[in-house]
Amino acid sequence: MVLVLALGDMHIPHRAPDIPAKFKSMLVPGKIQHIICTGNLCIKEVHDYLKTLCPDLHITRGEYDEDSRYPETKTLTIGQFKLGLCHGHQVIPWGDLDSLAMLQRQLDVDILVTGHTHQFTAYKHEGGVVINPGSATGAYSSITYDVNPSFVLMDIDALRVVVYVYELIDGEVKVDKIDFKKTSTSVPAL
Amino acid sequence: MPPALLDPPLSETSLVPYLISGTISQEPVPESRLFEDLRGLRWRINLGVLPPCSSLTSIDDLRRATANSRRRYASLRGQLLVDPHITKDGSSSPPNLVMDNPLSQNPNSTWGRFFQNAELERMVDQDLSRLYPEHGFYFQTKGCQGILRRILLLWCLKHPECGYRQGMHELLAPLFYVLQDDVEHHSEVRKLHEDHFTDRFDGLFCQENDISYSFDFIKSPDLLNDEIDSHGEGVKIKSLDELDPKIQTIVLLSDAYGAEGELGIVLSEKFIEHDAYCMFEALMNGARGSVAMADFFSYSPVAGSHTGLPPVIEASAALYHLLSHVDSSLYSHLVELGVEPQYFALRWLRVLFGREFSLDNLLIIWDEIFLSDNSEMEKHVEDNADTGFRLFHSSRGRFISAIAVAMLLHIRSSLLATENPTTCLQRLLSFPEDTDIKKLIEKAKSLQTLALSSEISSSTPMLIEYNKGKSVVARSISIPCESGSPKTPNSLLPDNSYWEEKWRVVHSAEELKQDGVEKQVPSQKKRWTEKVKLSLKRTESEPSSSTIKSGKKESKASVNRSLLEDLSKKLGSEGDTEKLGCHEVGQQDDGSDDSNNYDADDRCLSKNISSENSFNSASPPNEIKDLENENISQKSSVGSNLSVDEINEISHSSPIDSPLPISDHPENNLSPAPGRNNDSTGNLATISRDIKLNKFQWLWKFGRNKAELLSEKRGRASEPVKPTNNFNNNQSNTAPSSTAGEHCSSVNFKGDSADQNVMGTLRNIGQSMLEHIQDYVFVQQVIESAFQHERGQGASLDNNMSKNVLVGKGQVTAMSALTELRKISNLLSEM
Repeated sequence: MVLVLALGDMHIPHRAPDIPAKFKSMLVPGKIQHIICTGNLCIKEVHDYLKTLCPDLHITRGEYDEDSRYPETKTLTIGQFKLGLCHGHQVIPWGDLDSLAMLQRQLDVDILVTGHTHQFTAYKHEGGVVINPGSATGAYSSITYDVNPSFVLMDIDALRVVVYVYELIDGEVKVDKIDFKKTSTSVPAL
Repeated sequence: MPPALLDPPLSETSLVPYLISGTISQEPVPESRLFEDLRGLRWRINLGVLPPCSSLTSIDDLRRATANSRRRYASLRGQLLVDPHITKDGSSSPPNLVMDNPLSQNPNSTWGRFFQNAELERMVDQDLSRLYPEHGFYFQTKGCQGILRRILLLWCLKHPECGYRQGMHELLAPLFYVLQDDVEHHSEVRKLHEDHFTDRFDGLFCQENDISYSFDFIKSPDLLNDEIDSHGEGVKIKSLDELDPKIQTIVLLSDAYGAEGELGIVLSEKFIEHDAYCMFEALMNGARGSVAMADFFSYSPVAGSHTGLPPVIEASAALYHLLSHVDSSLYSHLVELGVEPQYFALRWLRVLFGREFSLDNLLIIWDEIFLSDNSEMEKHVEDNADTGFRLFHSSRGRFISAIAVAMLLHIRSSLLATENPTTCLQRLLSFPEDTDIKKLIEKAKSLQTLALSSEISSSTPMLIEYNKGKSVVARSISIPCESGSPKTPNSLLPDNSYWEEKWRVVHSAEELKQDGVEKQVPSQKKRWTEKVKLSLKRTESEPSSSTIKSGKKESKASVNRSLLEDLSKKLGSEGDTEKLGCHEVGQQDDGSDDSNNYDADDRCLSKNISSENSFNSASPPNEIKDLENENISQKSSVGSNLSVDEINEISHSSPIDSPLPISDHPENNLSPAPGRNNDSTGNLATISRDIKLNKFQWLWKFGRNKAELLSEKRGRASEPVKPTNNFNNNQSNTAPSSTAGEHCSSVNFKGDSADQNVMGTLRNIGQSMLEHIQDYVFVQQVIESAFQHERGQGASLDNNMSKNVLVGKGQVTAMSALTELRKISNLLSEM
């Protein structure tokens, strides 16, 4: 019953002023145990805000981040799952599943979380799960049209992870749910 | 062997054993000895979870009750424990994710409830982790903690109005412990008498040879060896009948095929959680009895409370009340130190002494507590609604308070040795480990009967003046410090019962009054004194500035009391120590605080009553004089210092003193009064009121000019009149004052020989006053105005502004009343 928040690409203050109010009202401290952020926050204030939601914060460096001390990739273990984190601009072509799968194999993780495309995707493949939480602010992207603000909440429970996707479409929060199960220690089930 | 054991008729009913004088057991088992070894079972019966043992209860009933209670818990658990991953059955196939996502703000969503439960669990865990560290090997195990946590969580969810409070876990832990104990005992018995524990299923249908049967199903190789050994030892129990009745019942209670099957096995490890929950719930709810532990955890007054206090505060006061009856010196010592009962009683009561004794001793005490019946006594229903502490309504409550008092008495000497409240509390909160529990319980039992007798039959108990909660507490604490009186400040009678008592007294006085006049006078005095005593008992607490009315009543009563006492003293009635004590105490200068005036008066009077037995008045008149010569700067002390002479003078001069014309107060009937002055038909009830008013006025007048009064005592009659005139700022008539002075002197000269006359005078005056002053509210106003004036004379003038309106009215009524009195006194003096 571990709740992990995955978000990124806020581009504050360059491309967006703030996370949408409806999202902010939902993000209350105390419920979430971990936050993983793909990058491009870009300023320290956003980092501090995320810190107030949860003390356990993991960030990887995006190309516009002003803090250069963030790592390029990160891995962590939550419950039975290994999670990998990377901003994604390093993996070319941007957003390509096979390339990301290569990265996943490199990092040897079950769940890979990347960003940069500002579009929510969640792929299941034999290697594991690749999740892109999109842009939390719906910031402009040169490679995606009609960016909607979105983020992802993962509920990790023993060998099962439930992925809740929160999207702000036309001013309303829409929620979707995806189930992933892991049958054995090494290979996640499809 | 099972088939051979059972009686030939195989019908269910005849086989069902009865607990008492059943077909199987040889003799009736006395209820107190029932299930001696099975504490958990006994407690379950005592708490009301299982039906009480009577000749009508059968094992089956017990089993059924057990099963029902367990089913209830199981359904509750399924209902309240939330697992958000499990979708509800029958819900629409696409669950509404906007509602049901983990970040949902909706409190009703499964996730919302999940987080609320998590919050509660966190609080419970804080306490559970510190539960019984000395028995950590048992209570700190993960399984036990998990069970306890679940039980507490479910109870709190079921009772959201109570929530979780620290201490509930300590109530639950021993309950769980005894249940586990029972199960262990059961398994021991089972090992010992393995033969008889075969299920009746086997016994009923398979009439085979014992040995072959037991071989097949029951006996493992080890047990077989045991059996062989037991054979070797000699006596082999052949039938169930030969077994100890206790063992029999255990066997039958554990039969997996009895009523309700497995769920009905009364001593079952599988269902310990269920049973513990039921016991905990019964304990908290009180099972429709008088003592419900949940009340002790609530901060607000329980519905139906007479005092409007949180129940635990009320129960603590009940404790002190009982202590005051049992050991007044310890009680007064504690009150003097300012040790409020709830400082320590809160912990004692909320955990039922769980923190004061080791677990084993605690179990013994709880045995006794649960043995006491918890049903509410019928008597209190008919009685005056304000009587009695709720704690005393049931024998269980009485026993709890008796144990507390017994504990206090146990450490009596160390408590009496303490000099300040801190050390006293320290000693109270660290109860000695090595107390003899048996003696404690015996003492408590004796006190329990005492509680039954004294509390129910005595006059209305002192109620606590926690009208406004903590602020009042602070106030009541300050009172003893100021006056030094050992009497508790925590007594405030609601007005209606106070006046009811007055009526009763008055009516009884009226009966006496039917006798001869001569006899009447002294007896009336005595009655008045009685009345005073009773009112003293009742109105001991200080009136709050916000409740002027009640305060006025009390002060009036106190004033009356003092007057009455003085009067009776003058009559030479046998030492009414209260009066003397009152005088003595009255000497204490209570400071300039107005409220303290009343308090001091009340307190001194109450103190007098409490110490009346110890006080001997050798020469009341002399002492009175001496006392009067003391400084009396406050009204209260004035009242107490009034000599009889003064009172006489007052009685005569007060009507004279009033230079104020009778106002045209709309409701004032004083103008037609003169014609009725000489009427001797007195309604005693009104007389009492009038007397109070009179005395109050007299006292009030004198109080304002103590110096003059003192000088007056020395024989100058005219002086007091002048000061009183000063009071009557509106109009000052020298003529009346002079006449008053004359009358005063004339009265003075009468001396002791005029005792009877004086009394008659007073009585007549009283009667006339009664007739004159019809509306009691105006009496109040008079008092208020008088007090206000007094205050004006005194140092503090805080309340003056607010009472100016009342003052005017009061003045008017007072003046009119006084005019009447003056006329009466004139007539009397002519006699």
